[in-house]
Amino acid sequence: MKRSVGNYAEAKVSSQYRMEVFEEERSMSQAERQARARTMSEEEQRAQRARFLFSEELADALASDSAVTAYDKVLTQNIELKGITNPAVQSMLAMRRQMQGREGVPQISSPSFPFEGNTDGASAADFLEGKKVLVSGSLYTYRDHLEANPVVVVEKNLAEENGLGLEDTVTAVISGKSGASSKITLTVIGIYRTEEAEEGGEGGEYTAFNPAGSTFYAPLSVVQELADVPGYVSLGSYHLDSVDSIGKIAAAFSELTGGDTRYQLDTGESSYEAIADPLNKTSRSSTIGLVGALAACALIILLAMAIVVGGRTRELGVLKAIGATDRQVVAQFAAEVVCICLVATVLAGGAAAVVGQRMGDWLMSGNTRTDDGEASQSARTGPEGFPAVMRGGGLGGEGLYLSGEGSDEEVDLHVIWRGSMFLYGMLLLLILSLLGMAVPVIWITRLRPARVLSIE
Amino acid sequence: MDGLLEMIEVSKTFKTRAGEVKAVDRVSLKARRGELSVIVGASGSGKTTLLYLLGSLEKPDSGEIRVFGEDICSPDADLVAYRREHVGFVFQMFNLVPALTALENVVLPMDLAGVPVSVQRARAEELLERMNIDRRLQRARPNRMSGGEKQRVAIARALANDPEVILADEPTGNLDTATGQVVVDILARLAHRDGKCVIIVTHDESILKVADWAYRMQDGRLEGIDT
Repeated sequence: MKRSVGNYAEAKVSSQYRMEVFEEERSMSQAERQARARTMSEEEQRAQRARFLFSEELADALASDSAVTAYDKVLTQNIELKGITNPAVQSMLAMRRQMQGREGVPQISSPSFPFEGNTDGASAADFLEGKKVLVSGSLYTYRDHLEANPVVVVEKNLAEENGLGLEDTVTAVISGKSGASSKITLTVIGIYRTEEAEEGGEGGEYTAFNPAGSTFYAPLSVVQELADVPGYVSLGSYHLDSVDSIGKIAAAFSELTGGDTRYQLDTGESSYEAIADPLNKTSRSSTIGLVGALAACALIILLAMAIVVGGRTRELGVLKAIGATDRQVVAQFAAEVVCICLVATVLAGGAAAVVGQRMGDWLMSGNTRTDDGEASQSARTGPEGFPAVMRGGGLGGEGLYLSGEGSDEEVDLHVIWRGSMFLYGMLLLLILSLLGMAVPVIWITRLRPARVLSIE
Repeated sequence: MDGLLEMIEVSKTFKTRAGEVKAVDRVSLKARRGELSVIVGASGSGKTTLLYLLGSLEKPDSGEIRVFGEDICSPDADLVAYRREHVGFVFQMFNLVPALTALENVVLPMDLAGVPVSVQRARAEELLERMNIDRRLQRARPNRMSGGEKQRVAIARALANDPEVILADEPTGNLDTATGQVVVDILARLAHRDGKCVIIVTHDESILKVADWAYRMQDGRLEGIDT
């Protein structure tokens, strides 16, 4: 099994903390909330916007751990855009406006679009996993992030409906600001096609509404500026050298946050275990089977040798009587046993090739968990070792890199045949046959020809 | 005639459930090249043990066994080399390797002795022809041969490495009289014509008539017989 499966972690604000904040806000009436918002200073408003975010410093500090092989920082925020419309979104807005006046339903005055910012467009999870495919232009780079270049990548349908093309511009409003300095002009540098809608947009009358389709991708620093939350991110995404390093990175995270329950580290360990468990069970079953088979093999060789040598005692005595050394006699029998074992290996290899896959499937069927809530998943890994299972990790939260619902895919075990396996098999059987010969060899060396030849 | 094989006060005792059995009791014997020695005795008299002592298949409890004046009972004696180069065995049960042809059985001791492969086959064929084993029989396995043929192949095998000593244990025991006589004649020829030192142990006293030296074995003791 590839150890790259599950070697993934995400740092974010904890679900528990979010719930606490939500509960607190729900306890206030809308009027109270509005009154509080009016009295907030600019700093307090920024803190309010960043209440579900965490600092880049924390994300960077965790990335300095030696187990981290690659990392990214992500900020997802809704940003108001001027002059951009989405018919599907507009129908949603109309529906919501009809609901105005009802308790708890906020009035939406202008269209906002989800923005996802990270340090490099090519490493954005949606593009990496093929959910989104760039159809024209280019993705922003790490340099764009460093230089805060105001560039954006737009969804194809949205671009067509708004007559946007490459090098066209859109105007975005910086959250919480007004006036001439409250707008940033973003240049369209790329257009993407949505291959796979996010799960949240599917079902019912919202089929046409595709949140993923309206997402704008931009450099992290640009999204931070637009959301007016400089130095904050919603997600720190870390790829580790191995799934075994998850404990280490969790300890480092706990140390960095001082055990603050405001933050949480989601890992791919549970996904790894979901995948690995049936495979590990199969592996254990196979190992037990292998050990049993080898033990049986050794016993059979031992007994076979005992029978062969026992039946040829007189021949052995004669060989010794006519001047054969113990080494010559043993070598002759060893050669015979090795030849038999090599033939057996070839036959066993052929038999294994025929039944191996079926055996694997049978073992997997016995070890795959099918009960509810424990979704078995594909053990295949994506490009560059990124686990396809991340799609169905079921870790919850708003993380774009670990999102979605548990899938019911079955674990596929592909029995792979390599020449080296046959070589190892032959070597193992050779060693086994030589071990199996141990007792007969001792017997041969202690054999007294006079005693054997006296039995007429 | 040179003294080739010499036993001096050799004894051998076996431990059995019934107690100790003195198979060979202070036996002294001298055999020479070109002579045929015959030792007769009843079953259990110790004659086979005596033969195995001469062939170094058994070690004596006491006494000395000398070959060309060298004590083969000394700890540093290479008994395997002695058996391979100086002794040829002929057994009552022939003891040919059943999986090998007559030719391969004769080649076997040469192979063990490291004789060049190019020499092995030619010499084996020559020996078998001397034993009147024709080409067809040379390529047959022992189970396709008569007792006499098997014994002649066994004699050819004993001669493979051209040993000075031929030790024959009941060589006619499994053969009819006529066939047995043929085998005895061959062994006698090996001694008298080829200069081998041949020692036969048997219960068949008729063989005594070809012996140069005759002995009787009884209760582990060896006594000379006037032939």
